[in-house]
Amino acid sequence: MSKWRKWSAGLAAMALMAGVTACGSGGAGSGGPGNSGGGNAASGGGGNGSGGQIVIGLSEEITGPAALSGLHGKRGAELAVEQINAAGGINGKQVVLKIEDNQGTNQGGVAAFQKLASDPNVVAIINSVRSTIVQATLPYVAQQKIPNMIGGTNPKLTNMGNQWVFRFRPNDTYASAAMEQFAVQDLHAKKVAILYDTDAFGSGGNDLLKQAFAKDNIPVVADEGYTTATKDYTSYLEKIKSSGADTLMTYMTNAEDEAQMLRQFRQLGLKMNVVGSPSIATDVCIQLAGDAVNGTYGVSDFVTDANDAAKQFTKDYEAKYHETPDLFAGWVYDAIMVLKDVIAKNGTDPNAIRQGLLQVQNRPGVEGTYSFDQNGDGLHGYTVVKIDNQKVHTIKYVDFSKH
Amino acid sequence: MARQILKFIPVIALLAIVPFLLPGGRLGTYYLTLTILSVSYAIACLGLTVVLGYSGQVSLAQAAFYGLGSYTLAILTVKHHWPFWPSALLGVIVPTLFGLVLGAISLRLTTHYLALVTIGFQVIISLVLNNWATVTGGADGISNIPRPTIGPLSFVDDRSYYWLMLVFLCLAVYVVYRLRHSRLGNALLALREDEIAASSAGINLFWAKVLAFSVSAALGGLAGVLYAAGALYISPNIYIFDQSVLFFSMTLVGGQESIIGTLLGAGLLTFLPEWLRFLKDYYIAVYGLLVIVVVLFLPDGLWGLVQRGVRAILRLVKKETPVQPAAVVETLMQRAEPIHRPTPGEQVLLEVKDLHKHFGGVKAVNGVSFTVRKGDVAVLIGPNGSGKTTVLNVLSGIYEPTAGEVWFDGRNISGLKPHVINRLGIARTFQNIRLFPELTALENVIVGYYPKGTVGLAGTLLSTPRGYLEERIARERAEETLRLLGFTRIHEKAKNLPYGQQRIVEIARAMVCEPQLLLLDEPAAGMNTEETKELSHLVYRLHELGFTILLIEHDMSFVSQVATQAYVMDFGSKIAEGSVDEVLRNPAVIKAYLGDDAEYDYA
Amino acid sequence: MQVIQLLVTGLAVGSIYALVALGFVLVYTAVNVVNFAQGDFSMVAAFFMVSLVVSAHLPYALGFVVSVILAGVAGYLFQLGVYQPVKNRPRNFLPVMIATVGGSIFLQHLFLILYGPVPLQLPSVFSQQTVDLGGVHVYPQYLLIIVVTAVMVALLNWFFERTKLGKQMQATAQDPTTARLMGINTARMNALTFALSTALGGLAGILVAPVYMVTTTMGSLIGLKAFAASIVGGFSSVKGAIIGGLAIGIIETFGGTYISGAYRDAFAFIVLVLFLIFRPYGLFGEKVSQKV
Repeated sequence: MSKWRKWSAGLAAMALMAGVTACGSGGAGSGGPGNSGGGNAASGGGGNGSGGQIVIGLSEEITGPAALSGLHGKRGAELAVEQINAAGGINGKQVVLKIEDNQGTNQGGVAAFQKLASDPNVVAIINSVRSTIVQATLPYVAQQKIPNMIGGTNPKLTNMGNQWVFRFRPNDTYASAAMEQFAVQDLHAKKVAILYDTDAFGSGGNDLLKQAFAKDNIPVVADEGYTTATKDYTSYLEKIKSSGADTLMTYMTNAEDEAQMLRQFRQLGLKMNVVGSPSIATDVCIQLAGDAVNGTYGVSDFVTDANDAAKQFTKDYEAKYHETPDLFAGWVYDAIMVLKDVIAKNGTDPNAIRQGLLQVQNRPGVEGTYSFDQNGDGLHGYTVVKIDNQKVHTIKYVDFSKH
Repeated sequence: MARQILKFIPVIALLAIVPFLLPGGRLGTYYLTLTILSVSYAIACLGLTVVLGYSGQVSLAQAAFYGLGSYTLAILTVKHHWPFWPSALLGVIVPTLFGLVLGAISLRLTTHYLALVTIGFQVIISLVLNNWATVTGGADGISNIPRPTIGPLSFVDDRSYYWLMLVFLCLAVYVVYRLRHSRLGNALLALREDEIAASSAGINLFWAKVLAFSVSAALGGLAGVLYAAGALYISPNIYIFDQSVLFFSMTLVGGQESIIGTLLGAGLLTFLPEWLRFLKDYYIAVYGLLVIVVVLFLPDGLWGLVQRGVRAILRLVKKETPVQPAAVVETLMQRAEPIHRPTPGEQVLLEVKDLHKHFGGVKAVNGVSFTVRKGDVAVLIGPNGSGKTTVLNVLSGIYEPTAGEVWFDGRNISGLKPHVINRLGIARTFQNIRLFPELTALENVIVGYYPKGTVGLAGTLLSTPRGYLEERIARERAEETLRLLGFTRIHEKAKNLPYGQQRIVEIARAMVCEPQLLLLDEPAAGMNTEETKELSHLVYRLHELGFTILLIEHDMSFVSQVATQAYVMDFGSKIAEGSVDEVLRNPAVIKAYLGDDAEYDYA
Repeated sequence: MQVIQLLVTGLAVGSIYALVALGFVLVYTAVNVVNFAQGDFSMVAAFFMVSLVVSAHLPYALGFVVSVILAGVAGYLFQLGVYQPVKNRPRNFLPVMIATVGGSIFLQHLFLILYGPVPLQLPSVFSQQTVDLGGVHVYPQYLLIIVVTAVMVALLNWFFERTKLGKQMQATAQDPTTARLMGINTARMNALTFALSTALGGLAGILVAPVYMVTTTMGSLIGLKAFAASIVGGFSSVKGAIIGGLAIGIIETFGGTYISGAYRDAFAFIVLVLFLIFRPYGLFGEKVSQKV
């Protein structure tokens, strides 16, 4: 290849990188909302001070293995902000959403958090729904002292002594407790099998389920772990079938994995009851699984008809996005709405927000009724559902809150 | 050498003042975290500089070593409450052990096989870190990793931790730099350029590969330790194949052979995704394209591009300085005195006993026996395909004999590896010249001197005076040898030399160690009459100096003057022997070359 | 009974690996290049299939054929970008291999942009019911995969041994210089080889998509394991690619069931490492001595 072509290719590459650099960073700091990656709900021209705006940061998985849930989270947030601003904002100030992509990795999550935290106008940050990302950011959360709303359900996250973490979904102890209780009391399970994703979420859930069943002296006759995004569950299902279990508990992170498994479950002729973690009740799972999902049970923190707030939210979301919302949109929506209440009452000072959140009690939201405990957990129960006719039906709400 | 390493000082100084250049407050923290991350990445990539850039071995397992380092530190400090520094040390040692094993396995594997084994290793380690929950904490990861302390000094503050990391970065740069410019570094480069030639020049390929992988694993582990203590929390999803690809891309984009290039690549590719955030979904696709462009069109990376640019500018700016006439050096070929060629004595140096070499059904060498006395210039002649080169390849250890034996200087050397045979005193050149193309002529010949060195890795890294002495001697001997052969362009890359000159350099590389026996495989191939005359003159002088030579040739005029003893082969067997005149009059030989109908009377 | 079921699954999964591995081997023997993006062409074809059959409502068979051809075309374009510019460089092996890694990243994210992150479904020609073979439940799609792969291998064999074009491609792979001297357009042969190998990969993707669902990452693990399979089979052997693929599919399925589900993905690589230590030339590769 001729020297000139080599040179021009090299220069082109450098120019591309340089141009991209110049566009992207714009000086020693990208303070204004105009420089974020992703849509802004209402960007009033690069506002600098807290004059007319309240900025809420959102760390979402825009690119990465769970980009789908990231999209839903973004939509839930945007809907919330739109509704708040349409009603006049918070004490007259418009809310601006600043979104950063955490790419689904620890390092990306830390960078996204810090980028958001570096904006002096950001008053609170909606952090990731992935527990490992949240954990990676915790040291910095403690340092920066900004209120964080999280969706990760690993129980550890609110038990590490970090005062700035507020969880807007019920954590895994409640999910597993609700699943176990329902299986034992309502489905009369005598021998259970557990199928779980070996990632943080699934293995944590698996451990909690095993503990719960052990307390009730119900044997776990099959305990199968698979790697995320496994396509073929035949071998696991065969083992489960031959274990003689009458109930299958699933703790699966991805809705598409759940759907895949359910299809094969039916094809292999398994007949036992299925009780799944929240992904079983998501729209993605129901669509992809088709008929296979009918007749299964699950727990979900978000169900479209669980309560009035959820019903209204579903209506608004469907009107705007032409699809049914799921928990990834739901908790973010709640987080922003609750935040709005707290800021309206207590102002934007971080400590004031923190105190205000701790004082939130019996506040209805789409995910349930929020009552924050000392650790920062806002919800303490799960809705048990049955999926039939491609729809999610609420059976009951299992409440573990201590009052 | 000490002076040359000073060129890194401006870079390190610049890195050291970065914290002062950052804006204050949270934005500064954001940049500082990224900078800390990029320093850790840079150290990992320096490992790839060694294994990929210097040694040419494809390793896609660097993230596995990174992970082993992080996890060793985390498990020891958090779960077993060990103090920081011993844990950190183990965090470097554990990955190194794995690197040793990987290097050992890699011996027989060429590029894509090796790439795949490293990928396999990477995948397996990822799965183990994730699933062996009792030891590693499983998918949840390990939090509350402590920061180091040195006496009263604590490094909890990010700034101070960053400076501590810079100290380790300097250490890593030093190790890599010192390695590169040492005798061991030459061996790694030779390994990369041409394994067969390297082995024949006395380099033990096994240890070279083990060295390359171990050093790279050690650096990967160190980087992992620093990452873990920096981030305070680790989980298995960090140490995956994608991360190995990222390290690989950083090293490549910056410039795989250049330390500064690697640092540049690591920094650039850490910050680039941040700068590209505005591209949203597109930026990783753009990133993939950039990797392709750089790899295909900028083989020495961005830093190489910068260097070439600077050089081009300097050439334009600087005036051409007049070339100094070279000092008149009397080369071997120019010596006026008549040549006193020694007569070969009775001592047998090389004995080939009924040698067979079969390739499947092809009997390339089918029962050949001959001897070479000390002081001989023996020549092996025969038509194409008669098995001459195969014989030489067996002699030098590249092939193992199917049957028969080779004895050299009273020892049975049948089936020994090429580098062992080289150290016993046999050196060779190849029919299709095998120089190390990217090395200069001088560097090529220095590699030839490798077996005479004794300083190992420890000595190299500790910069012992002995190491420097050996390197100096090697360079001087190489220069002297090249001078003797009348070769002046010693700093020219071998690939840029004309064919005849390449041959001279190859011979210099073989002679520099003063082997007892020189094997020359068709040295006159591709040369014109002038060059051939010079070459035969050279062979006389070599003979005069005391070398015993066994050569393969076609060119009869060259051979008839030069050789003291001739053996003729055809179809894998020896068909004649004697002096050159005798052999050329032998009817069997004439028949082999010219066929049955020939009625030539060759007198 | 479980054994039969696992065997069928193993053979089906193995057939997919075999098809993709075949692609690797064809390209490698022809141009001495490893295409790390080989697995991603499975993904490409599967997405095309979804667009044609689900969105544009083309008949299944037609969509099938068109998608495979398109995968071949995509391969042709791909090698224009990552192979042609450097094909005459003497030591181009490493740069090209890394360029294909970049290409893989690029392809996956390009399709993420084009199709979004939602997994798509490709309907099977069969209903969702399993077929009952003497008490054993078998997915009909798996049977289809096995049958189609067998047919494909036979077809390829006929193509290479009996047709002029096939023989020309073989000649080019074995000795490019002589082939050129014989008047064969080696550049075109090489480009065709690339296209054929990505078409094979694409075929694998379409066959497996109804079982797996179509996502942008579906190709990468398949590609890696197929790569391992081709080495186990002996990297320059067509027969080896197929046997290697089937072997890995079976070992993985049985190992995943009887030994450890969580480590299932590791089996392919453990087998690979063992082979490379004890028998680096694979099952059928020949120990070709290097010409020195």
